[in-house]
Amino acid sequence: MAVWEVRVANLPSLPDPVGEGVLYEIRHALGIKSITRVRTAKVYRFEGIDGHAVRLLAEKLLAEKVFQIYTINEPVITDAAAVVEVAYKPGVMNPEAASLMKAARDLGIGDLLAADSSREYGFYGTEIAPEELEVVLKRLLVNETIEQVITEKPSTLRISGQPGKTEVIPLREMDDDQLMELSKDRLFLSLEEMKAIQQYFRAAGRDPTDCEVETLAQTWSEHCKHKTFKSPLIVNGKEKEPLLKRLQEATAATRHPLVLSAFVDNSGVMEFYDGWAICGKVETHNSPSAIEPYGGAMTGSGGVFRDIMGTGQGARVIASTDMFCFAPPETPREEIPPGCLHPHYLLRRVVAGVRDYGNRMGIPTNNGSVHFHIDFRAKPSVIVGAYGILPAARCQKGQPVPGDLAVVIGGRTGRDGIHGATFSSGEMTHRTIEVNATAVQIGHPIEEKRVADVILAAGEEGLIRAITDCGAGGFASALGEMGEKTGVRVWLERAPLKYQGLKPWEIWLSESQERMVIAVAPENLPRLLEICRRYNVEATVLAEFTSDRRLVVTYEGEVVCDLDMEFLHHGLPRRTLVARWEEPPLEDPEVPLPQDWEEVYCRVMGHLNVCSKEPIVRMYDHGVQGSCCLPPYGGTGGDGPNDAVVLTPLLGSPAAVVIAHGLNPILNRIDPYYGGLWAIAEAVSNAVAAGANPAELALIDNFIWPFPDEEALGALDRAMDACVDFVRATGMPFISGKDSLSSTYRGPGGEVIKIPPVLCISAFGRLPDARQTVSADFKGEGNSIVLVGYRRVEEMAGSAYYDLLGHLGRNLPRVEPAKLKAVWEVVHRAIKSGKVLACHDISEGGLAAALAEMCFGGNTGARIAVPGEVRADYYLFNETPGCFLVELSPETDPEALFGDVPYRVIGQTTGNRRITVEQGGKRLFSLPLDRLKAAWQEPMARVFGSVEVGER
Amino acid sequence: MRPRVCVLYADGTNCDRETYYAFEKAGGAPELVHVNQLRSGERKLADYQILVIPGGFSYGDDVLAGKVLAVELTSFLADQLQAFVEAGKPVLGICNGFQVLVRTGLLPDARMGEIKVTLMTNDSGRFECRWVYLRVEESRCIFTRGLAGQLLYLQAAHGEGKFYTSPRVLEAIEAGNQVVFRYATPSGEPTGAYPYNPNGSLGAIAGICDPSGRILGLMPHPERFVEVTQHPNWRRPEVKSLLKEPHGLAIFRNAVAYAREM
Repeated sequence: MAVWEVRVANLPSLPDPVGEGVLYEIRHALGIKSITRVRTAKVYRFEGIDGHAVRLLAEKLLAEKVFQIYTINEPVITDAAAVVEVAYKPGVMNPEAASLMKAARDLGIGDLLAADSSREYGFYGTEIAPEELEVVLKRLLVNETIEQVITEKPSTLRISGQPGKTEVIPLREMDDDQLMELSKDRLFLSLEEMKAIQQYFRAAGRDPTDCEVETLAQTWSEHCKHKTFKSPLIVNGKEKEPLLKRLQEATAATRHPLVLSAFVDNSGVMEFYDGWAICGKVETHNSPSAIEPYGGAMTGSGGVFRDIMGTGQGARVIASTDMFCFAPPETPREEIPPGCLHPHYLLRRVVAGVRDYGNRMGIPTNNGSVHFHIDFRAKPSVIVGAYGILPAARCQKGQPVPGDLAVVIGGRTGRDGIHGATFSSGEMTHRTIEVNATAVQIGHPIEEKRVADVILAAGEEGLIRAITDCGAGGFASALGEMGEKTGVRVWLERAPLKYQGLKPWEIWLSESQERMVIAVAPENLPRLLEICRRYNVEATVLAEFTSDRRLVVTYEGEVVCDLDMEFLHHGLPRRTLVARWEEPPLEDPEVPLPQDWEEVYCRVMGHLNVCSKEPIVRMYDHGVQGSCCLPPYGGTGGDGPNDAVVLTPLLGSPAAVVIAHGLNPILNRIDPYYGGLWAIAEAVSNAVAAGANPAELALIDNFIWPFPDEEALGALDRAMDACVDFVRATGMPFISGKDSLSSTYRGPGGEVIKIPPVLCISAFGRLPDARQTVSADFKGEGNSIVLVGYRRVEEMAGSAYYDLLGHLGRNLPRVEPAKLKAVWEVVHRAIKSGKVLACHDISEGGLAAALAEMCFGGNTGARIAVPGEVRADYYLFNETPGCFLVELSPETDPEALFGDVPYRVIGQTTGNRRITVEQGGKRLFSLPLDRLKAAWQEPMARVFGSVEVGER
Repeated sequence: MRPRVCVLYADGTNCDRETYYAFEKAGGAPELVHVNQLRSGERKLADYQILVIPGGFSYGDDVLAGKVLAVELTSFLADQLQAFVEAGKPVLGICNGFQVLVRTGLLPDARMGEIKVTLMTNDSGRFECRWVYLRVEESRCIFTRGLAGQLLYLQAAHGEGKFYTSPRVLEAIEAGNQVVFRYATPSGEPTGAYPYNPNGSLGAIAGICDPSGRILGLMPHPERFVEVTQHPNWRRPEVKSLLKEPHGLAIFRNAVAYAREM
């Protein structure tokens, strides 16, 4: 069967922005100057149709002659020095293919068997060296995990394959070495765990199938089971309860009246207003993002959205957040360890993945941050959050009853993400990219949008008994968990496949995206299927819930898995883990007072952890759903940052959701206890700065930690102590969380890189009226600037200021939760009173950065006085959270608002667009706002390419 | 009586709720109608007085933005759409909806079939979300009655919004007063300069209508500014004092008022 090719390019006289973007990266990120122009073309391939139909497709679908040209079976870029086509590898599903098939059908072309698309790049320049082209392809255009260069026309587009067979693994006779050989790179289980499995099958009198072993490995993986968090600890010789238990018990003890569901469902749920509830979930997607950042970030977003969609009996996703940690984008390539991708590439591709998933699904992404540290060079941290709204009456996790049917809806199953759960629980090594290539795929947000539409419609009609997403572990995880209390009988051959050739265990474990499982009473099945048809969603009855508490899976009549639910879920050997914590040997530096304040201030503003991230935010649709009433960047020029996002998800109602977060990984290197408190204090302060009520906030934790050896576990224990102490002191509950304990890299020469431990805290809550919120931009000149909160300015360790001087330091901010609570209550009351014109919390870059950002937003200047007795540099650049800058009109009495906590009127806003700082009556410096702003905007503008386009 | 509004959606449409709300607030009776319901005959376009195609990424914007939905409409619903238009009923396409309208041919000539103008990838090469100023031009457009000469502030959020066509077609559109909105500076001058013109549109064109003025397509999102608190700076005193009504609302009101008169 002939394969036809259609190539489409813009008219040569018109700009090619995709090509220009590639050129920008070639010149700026790779430093290659011999390439002077890049043109791109789309390549479409079709199989099963004739030339007449191909021409019809080209004319009616693929090309518009207003601005494009096309060719059939011929090159379209003919004058370039080199033309290279990059396509997805076979088996990586190209989301566009289905649309091509659909449009062809709509055009009456019925016999199309397969379609595909790819992109072609034409490179111009007279002196392009072959090695340079190689670098462009390898580092920029081709991610070999999923993509390849096409050198000749494929003979077919169809993927063929014979159904695989189930194998029996002779486990009973294996010795320890053989058990571990089986586990390595595939199961990621410990010897003790392998032996427990061996024991079970010895007792059963048979050897297991591959499907059974894989099911156990998946269910017992760190990713799914959170073994470390659930094990008792011995810390420095002292016994302690498991980490998770401590946090859950502390939360339960708060008896928080708004918590509806904590730690039991796919997300945590709290009460909203008028019969509604809101829910939140934050996930990490580090391992896939490290090897294929675009697909990894996409599937991370898709997964966390499905967690929301699969909460209660279905929720609507209303917000997305993203928090990333990378090595600095300018890191020299030789410092990147073998098997790891460069941070410049990672950053751009991760952002693109989050952008394309959220934007296409119509989820506003309006809160996030990016952090940089060289030790993220071996593995980035990619954290994606999602929030949703659902009727309070349908917000509890559902429980299937025997006889209910399990319907899988959404995408088809392929060889995607096999071993994702086990893989993400393992350490990253230089072999990671080779061995685990199947762990990533390209997300399909439109499929997920369709599924989301079905869930809302089915939920409204009360058709959903229980729902969960197929995340890590695929069907095995979804059905294994849903059927834990009942038992489940699965007909695996019914699963719709993307292509043939999967073994039963691969179908069972596949982590193909955009699939969800709904438990439905048999009488509701016809209506559910009808709704699915309406939304073009494929739906299949895959299983039935039973009452025998067994997990029984057959494939065309053959039993491929028959496990006792009790063993599957509770057979994991319990361990007691040993942890050790010692204070690291750190010293506080002797730092001279700055001589050149302008240079120092500009460098702090341009520090990667302080600088503007606006170019990233602009690529996210933060206005879709019409709910945003405090944007990530606002103020007169739209470039002043706000601390939190405020959403009104019920259009027409002023009831608001506030979302914020905090993290500061480097502090955890000094002391994870105070680093942890910093993160929580920052998250809550960000929310409160916008107007949130601290009594109506809930928290979500994400621990991203090195592989838990004794030392890392000791640090983890301290960070958890911080969370628990915080909950006890403030009564603020944690209602969801996730841990990822694999941030360790082992290189070929045995070198180990421990990624800085990350504790990311997200805070979300409710407010009755969005009009009781404030933004961070100064509102006018001649207003008072008030500093509110507790801080000891000499606590400078971990600050951007120290970092620029090459120090980490030891004396880090040590916030006290009870005092923070008092400050938050005071600030919240002040904002609610309507007297606060602007409020911004102090974080990275200190008071100086917060002040400058408020000036950027208001396009005003400021004049402040530093108290005579303190070091001005510490005063300006200390990063203690829980401190706020507040703008008040001169008529407002600050004592009446803030008298219960430490506060100080530090200065006034001015009309001269300068920041002037005095101390003891003497001027320290006076800087033009524009210079600070330029320094603050420059780093990300360079990474993402500032675009200058003139009049046309 | 509230005119019935067909809020058409397909796989990947994602601005349907806020568009629905905007019409409801403007006095219409909106209804979400899936394209499958029109194809199956379960719903009929003739039963509605207004048609709106909201924003989103219909069918993932595969091939070109809005293209696959445009092919679907042209293949199966051409007669219904043509009849709707010929009955003099208003049609609105926002963002992805605008892309669909130009790719069906309904804009600029109100005829299904020939594609005369296009919306290309932004000059910046990427999706961008930012607020823009729009100058409302003198035209026959029924959606902007009473607004000519005003400067609207709306959010644009798209990756393929650069208006482009041949000089001949551009001339005809200009001569026919079919340009309804132009990207402008804060002082109201049409501009090609980024970021005020966020995509590099020819003639700073942000929205056009058909010769009758009853079919309108625009890239920015009027449905995202029908409440005061949707303005990014509604807290600022200078915004509060000048803002009489959210800028997007009048467009929906005009549509509803026109449909009522019919």
